Amino acid sequence: MAEREQLSCYRSPRGTVALAWPGDLDALLAEWHALREVMCRTLPAAFTRDEWAYLVAFAARDQLEGVLVRAFGERVADAGAPDWVVRPRGRVAVWLPNNVSLLGPLLVIMLSLTGNEVELKSGSSADDLTAAFLAFARQHALAGGALGAALERIGRQAFGHDDPRQAALAAGARVRIVFGTSAAADAVHGLPHPTESAGFSFVERHSEAWIEVGAVDATTVDTLIKVFAIYGQAGCTSPRRVVLLDGEVAQALALRARLAERWRQVVRRDLPVHLASANVMARQLAAARGWDAVLVERHAAVLAVGGAELAPIEEPMTLLLSWATLEQAVARLPAHTQTVGYALAEGQRRPRWLPALYRSPVRRVVPLGQMHHFGAVWDGAEYWSSCFEWLEVR
Amino acid sequence: MTLLEAPPYAPRRPAELLAELEGLTAHHLAGCAEFARCWPDWRPQGTLVALPFLHVGLFKRLRLVTQGPQLEHQRTLLSSATTGATPSMIVLDRHSSALQARSSAAILRDFLGPELRPLLVLDSARALLRRGEVTARTAAAMSLKPLASAIHFVLGDGEDPRSLDWAKVAEVAEGATGLLVYGFTSMLWRAWGSVEPPEGLRRVLRGQAIHFVHSGGWKRLEAERVTRERFDAALLAGAGAGSSVVDYYGLVEQVGIIYPQCEQGLRHVPLWAEVLVRDPHTLAPLATEAGQLQLLNVLSWGAPCHSVLTEDLGQLVPGACPCGRHGPRFRLLGRLPKAELRGCAHG
Repeated sequence: MAEREQLSCYRSPRGTVALAWPGDLDALLAEWHALREVMCRTLPAAFTRDEWAYLVAFAARDQLEGVLVRAFGERVADAGAPDWVVRPRGRVAVWLPNNVSLLGPLLVIMLSLTGNEVELKSGSSADDLTAAFLAFARQHALAGGALGAALERIGRQAFGHDDPRQAALAAGARVRIVFGTSAAADAVHGLPHPTESAGFSFVERHSEAWIEVGAVDATTVDTLIKVFAIYGQAGCTSPRRVVLLDGEVAQALALRARLAERWRQVVRRDLPVHLASANVMARQLAAARGWDAVLVERHAAVLAVGGAELAPIEEPMTLLLSWATLEQAVARLPAHTQTVGYALAEGQRRPRWLPALYRSPVRRVVPLGQMHHFGAVWDGAEYWSSCFEWLEVR
Repeated sequence: MTLLEAPPYAPRRPAELLAELEGLTAHHLAGCAEFARCWPDWRPQGTLVALPFLHVGLFKRLRLVTQGPQLEHQRTLLSSATTGATPSMIVLDRHSSALQARSSAAILRDFLGPELRPLLVLDSARALLRRGEVTARTAAAMSLKPLASAIHFVLGDGEDPRSLDWAKVAEVAEGATGLLVYGFTSMLWRAWGSVEPPEGLRRVLRGQAIHFVHSGGWKRLEAERVTRERFDAALLAGAGAGSSVVDYYGLVEQVGIIYPQCEQGLRHVPLWAEVLVRDPHTLAPLATEAGQLQLLNVLSWGAPCHSVLTEDLGQLVPGACPCGRHGPRFRLLGRLPKAELRGCAHG
């Protein structure tokens, strides 16, 4: 039997909004928040400590309330006669990439807030954290509570791209969200699907860290290491390249020296031996192609300094460090750029050079430490709020 | 080239080997710009562990070639272990090829004897037809060429063990006084070891001394729970007196140097080569612990393949070997374990 809808109200610039949600949304937020206490005591084997810590922070109540506020406006006790009634749109289908990291668990949390049925599809060969997180959350959810009910609405399947279930998934979804290659996204959206359904594609992306010369301090160095080390170049939100704004080669080398010195203090765990070995190769490849490249202690990463004329080194744990004027940095942004993470010299809340990016391909401009923060808007697309229908009331 | 004139497992001549390797390193630094950029500060230090090396993965990303007087580069070998994998690009030159052929012949003679026998290759002849490109298993098979009186490719389809042409095998075996059979480990098992030859051929094969030579590793067979003992026993059961099974290890990046397994299950290093074991996280040399193998030889002049850090794990074994061969020996422990870096990028 369907759960009874409950209303929560918001005041947005376009009027008052009543969210008709199938159950107790406040209880769901509280139970996600409470689950964090269990999470802090238990680290499932499938997760690294950093991944789990990020999930703990992500499930915080104020963080999740922020998603709702950003979509619907400020929470109010009573909307009176609402101008809009918002309701779940219907089944949401998500195609996850093969090297899934936290994306699956993050989407479990985010999409649980939409009140929709959700089906997450992983690749047949995926090292998938989604199943592990769902199992953990189901095991520790309160019996008969809102979180358990929300998780009941979420399913997860694993199969290959040529499996017949692919077509069934597309045919039954009111919202399709595809993470993967452009070809994979085109293939999914090319399957028969409901005419009024919505489709979102999150495909290959490039991200950079732009650091003002005056912003290079101990905090920036440590933050850059943390942001890069968690995914290396495998993360679409990871900085493939660090641009020292208005810097020069000597300052890039000095930054490199500070990174190398601090790396093992910030990231204490050893890389798997295969990646440590790959870094030996990457250091040599970078050197052979003209980069000034060094290995971090215990082969934890490769730090390569070089000018814009050098071909990029696309290896998992190689961080490229270059320097540029603002104009050069903007001009060199690839068309598939997603995030620019910034570190600013003192006295700025937002980058003073932000206007230079208005006409660039960049989709996100965020502080360096927030490059990986996943949200309701991704690659500039309102995928989360599109999981709702808006009923206009006059 | 005095080292190569001695038997492969004669007593070691370390000073001579070091001098040759240092000279070869200087040659590659002078003639290969990429190699020189990788090792800009190297100077001879009188020790093998300080010799520059290149990581094996670099040969998949760069076509490395060393220029020098009297070096005549012939072609580039594109070699991959499996179809579709990124191939290594190995530049071959006439001078090195001659040294490499002498080397592999000397090593194989030590294990198989000097007789020339027909070589049956468990691969398709089509593998030879791709111009300038050869698979790792074809390159491995060709290293047996110095001991072959004739070469016969006996698979109709190089990927299909059921395509073994037993009639061809029978035709070759009838007139021979011994056979060499080469296949990748998994293919030798699937095409020959795990099947019964036709009735009439069984009698012929049981009258032949057959030397089965294989390389490529056990990973696929481990999944099928095929042990080395079962593998060897199955092959030898259908062969005559004096038959043997030889498992060897080698890299396409180090043509000419192969490491057959001795009766003790160990790999011996020929006089003109060296093996170091290194810690994967520091590259510190390891005396007896397991680590990453670095292979060195004095044969490669046209490309800096003389010192290669592999992605294979091994362990040096101290002491003298009961098999009687001199020099360092090691136990091969397989590939470095792979763990994909998790991200949110797309693949």
